[in-house]
Amino acid sequence: MTKVLTEHWDQPRLHELETYRRLGGYEALKKVLGMDRAQLIDEAKKSNLRGLGGAGFATSLKWSTVTPEEKNPGPRYVVVNCDESEPGCFKDRVLATRNPHQLIEGLLIAACAIDAKQNFIFIRGEYQIQYEILEKALAEARGAGIIKPPVSIDLMRGAGAYMSGLDTALLETMEGKKAWPRQPPPFPTASGLMGRPTVVNNVETLCMVPSIVLRGGEWFAKLGTAKSGGTALFSVSGHVEKPGVYEFAMGTPLREILAAAGGVKGGRKLKAVIPGGVSTPVLTADELDTPMDWDGPRAQGSFLGAGGVIVLDETTDMVMVAHNIERFLAHESCGQCTPCRQGSYWYVRILERALDGGGVAADLDTLRRTGEDMTGKVICALGDTVGLVTRAMMKKFSNDFKAKFHGEPPHG
Amino acid sequence: MSHFSAEQEQTLMGWARRYPYRIMGLLEALRQVQEWRRCVGDQDEEYLAKLFDYPRNHVHELVTFFPGLTLRPTGRYRVGICRGLSCALAGSAAMCRCMEKSLGIKAGETTPDGKFSFETMECIGACDHAPALIVNDKLQGAASEQSISELLERLP
Repeated sequence: MTKVLTEHWDQPRLHELETYRRLGGYEALKKVLGMDRAQLIDEAKKSNLRGLGGAGFATSLKWSTVTPEEKNPGPRYVVVNCDESEPGCFKDRVLATRNPHQLIEGLLIAACAIDAKQNFIFIRGEYQIQYEILEKALAEARGAGIIKPPVSIDLMRGAGAYMSGLDTALLETMEGKKAWPRQPPPFPTASGLMGRPTVVNNVETLCMVPSIVLRGGEWFAKLGTAKSGGTALFSVSGHVEKPGVYEFAMGTPLREILAAAGGVKGGRKLKAVIPGGVSTPVLTADELDTPMDWDGPRAQGSFLGAGGVIVLDETTDMVMVAHNIERFLAHESCGQCTPCRQGSYWYVRILERALDGGGVAADLDTLRRTGEDMTGKVICALGDTVGLVTRAMMKKFSNDFKAKFHGEPPHG
Repeated sequence: MSHFSAEQEQTLMGWARRYPYRIMGLLEALRQVQEWRRCVGDQDEEYLAKLFDYPRNHVHELVTFFPGLTLRPTGRYRVGICRGLSCALAGSAAMCRCMEKSLGIKAGETTPDGKFSFETMECIGACDHAPALIVNDKLQGAASEQSISELLERLP
C-alpha cells in the first residue's frame, strides 16, 4: 500500500533538515513557487483532501474562500492547529516528533495558496517535547533560507484547555482570551485571527500537502475512495496488542486497522470500537467491516473524526466508558452555552450514581431527554457530543445500561 | 520597581513584542510566570495587566480558565497521570493511587517541601503510552509502579 506520511518513518534522524532534504523534502515548495495560486488550489481540489482534524472540510474550499486581498487589504494568516487533545488521538504528536519539516513545508505551501506572510503553529502546552522539536526545525529552515522574510512562522503554546483545539476557540486563545468558541458566521476565512482572514489547518492535513503538490492531486485522490482522497493516520489504542499510529488508505475496513495493531489484547473477544476519538459514537463488534473514510462510519451513526480508534474488549462495562467520556467533556466544557455546561454536569452525576450502585431506571429517560436538549442547541461540537455518545451506547449496549439502571428513585 | 528581576522583566517584554499584536503574547507570558513562581499571584496579574494593557480581571479570567495556570503554588515538578479513556482502560486509577501513596499527598496537592505536586490529567495525547505519565509538560512514557518510583528518585 502507498504510504504518504509514514513512508520514511524508519529513516534515522528524519526530523533533521539534511535527512528530510535528502529524501526529497522541500522540492514541493520549489515547485509551488513556480505555480500561480489558482493552479495550486486546483491541485488541492483534485486531491479530494479533507481536513483531518476531524471535521472533514474540503481543504481546497477552505483555502479558496479566504477573502481576497483586493476585497480586504492587509495581512492574512495560516494557523496550524497542533492542539490535539481528543482522547484516542495522538497522530499529530507523532507527526510533529518524527517529521517536523514535512509540517513546515505543508504550512509554507498553504501560505502560498492564500498569500499569507505571517503564519503560526499553535501547539498544546503538554507537547513541550514537540514544541522544542519544532523550534529547532524552524531555526534550521530559517538558517537555510527556506523561511525568509517577509514570510515567517512562529510558535505559540496553549495552557491545557481542550477547547483551544477548536478552530475559533483556538483563535480566541491566541488573542489572549479564554477558549470560548465563536458562533460563525463569519468563518475564520473571512474574519479569523485579530479579525483578519485566517486559515486554520490541522497538522496531518498540512503534512499531506507536499506529496499532493509533487505527485499530483489525481494521484492522491486515487489512493482513497470517491469522496475521501488519499490516506489517513489512525491512532489505535485501548485494548490492543500494539497501540500506535497506522497509515491506511481512506476506505480501509476497520477490521484491517485492528488487525495491523495486533488485534484485541490478550486474545480476548472484541466488544466495541470507538472509531474516531471519544466524541464519535461507538461501533459494535459486528460493525468491523465499516470502511474508514468520511462516509463509512456515518452510515453507522458515527464519524471518522480524527481517526482515534479506541478498542474495547469483552470485559469493558459501557457505563464506565460513558462515564469516563462524559467526565472528560464536562471537565472541558467551556461554560459558554448553558445546555452543555449544565447538561454535561448532570450526565456525570447520573452516570456516577449508577456506577456507585444507585442507578435509577427512570434516569435512562432523563439521559435521553437531556441529550436531545443539547445536541444541535449549542455553539460547538463539544456540546453536541455530550448528548450523542452516551445515547449511542445506550442504544447499542442496552444490556449494560439496564444492568446498572434498575432501581427506584431514592426519595420515592 | 516590580517584584520581577530586570532579566525577568526583559523576558516578559520579549513575549509582549514577539507577535504582531501585543495581546497575543499574554498567554505565553502567563506560562512563563507560572514556570518561575509556580503560580500566578495578585502582583503577577497586576504586572501583566499593565504590561499588556489589558483589564486585570481578564488576566485573572485566563488564570482561572486554563488548567496549566494556577492561583496557588504547584511543586517544582508538576507530575500528572492521564485518566482519558485509553489510560483509564490501562489502569490509570491504580497508578494515581500509587502516585498518591508514593508522594504522601492527594491529587491536586503539593508536597510540604514544595518539590512535587500531583494532578490527574485529561487526555495528554499519549494514548499509545497508556496510562501516560507527564512531568512539567514533558511525556515520560507509561506509568507503572516501577516507572513511578524510578522517576521520583531520579528528579533532583
